[in-house]
Amino acid sequence: MMFQRKKREMPDIPMAPLIDCVFLLLIFFMVATVMRVNPPFKVFLPDSQVRQDFPRKKFNLYISAAGQISLDDRIMPTLDDLEEVLAINENKIETLIIKADKNARHGIVIDTMERAKRRAIENIAIAVREGEYAGSI
Amino acid sequence: MQRESAMRGSRRREQPRMNMAPLIDCVFLLLIFFMVSTTFAPLPGIRVKLPPPGRPSTEKPKGLIMRIANPEGSEKFGTMVLNDEIVDVQDLIFKFQAAPDEAKNMLVIQSERNVLHEQIVIIMDLAKRAGVDKIGFAMVARGPGE
Repeated sequence: MMFQRKKREMPDIPMAPLIDCVFLLLIFFMVATVMRVNPPFKVFLPDSQVRQDFPRKKFNLYISAAGQISLDDRIMPTLDDLEEVLAINENKIETLIIKADKNARHGIVIDTMERAKRRAIENIAIAVREGEYAGSI
Repeated sequence: MQRESAMRGSRRREQPRMNMAPLIDCVFLLLIFFMVSTTFAPLPGIRVKLPPPGRPSTEKPKGLIMRIANPEGSEKFGTMVLNDEIVDVQDLIFKFQAAPDEAKNMLVIQSERNVLHEQIVIIMDLAKRAGVDKIGFAMVARGPGE
């Protein structure tokens, strides 16, 4: 009888180190996560074989095929609005990544770059999709 | 009185038993959420250089100069002129490769407004593949509010 009782007893596992470990992982992932925000329109990036790698960060500039500009998920109705928001967040932007649709006009892309330049954002990169251009010119 | 204070003392020293299980469940849930939503893959892109702000420079830029006209009619891409020579995209990479080394330091793209962004990226891709170091864009100087 005594033997059986002992068997049914729960073995005592110390949970504290496990929980410590889980908390550590949680904090690591919380810090490492950059929440991805999508613009209110779809963007098809142009293809390019050459690529440089940039870290994913906040403050990406999206340009739609129709020429709409959006900083993360905020639509910028005019270039002046964009410049204003860039001015506020100037210090937080290390590299401004421009994600322009492949059918966007170059003029609007240049306009946004010019505004960024005026706000002393020196590092600008154009986002691409990895791959060979399939069509012909 | 003595007995009462002794009792209170022993009560105080007793560890409150907290139920940790729901807390741990919650933390696990958060952990899994953050694990799933994290992406470590870098973002592919091409770095570009812009001319310094302020007054436009009067000196002729060194290096390669690529000019692109607006696409006409049903054309998708505009005509490209590399250093006063009309070029085709098929042999553009050879033109870049054939350029002297000092010219390969920098490529300046002067493009009209209606050129597709895709064409610009193709040119940048080919230039980078041919070993051009920096790519810049020429801009038209305009006053504020224009």
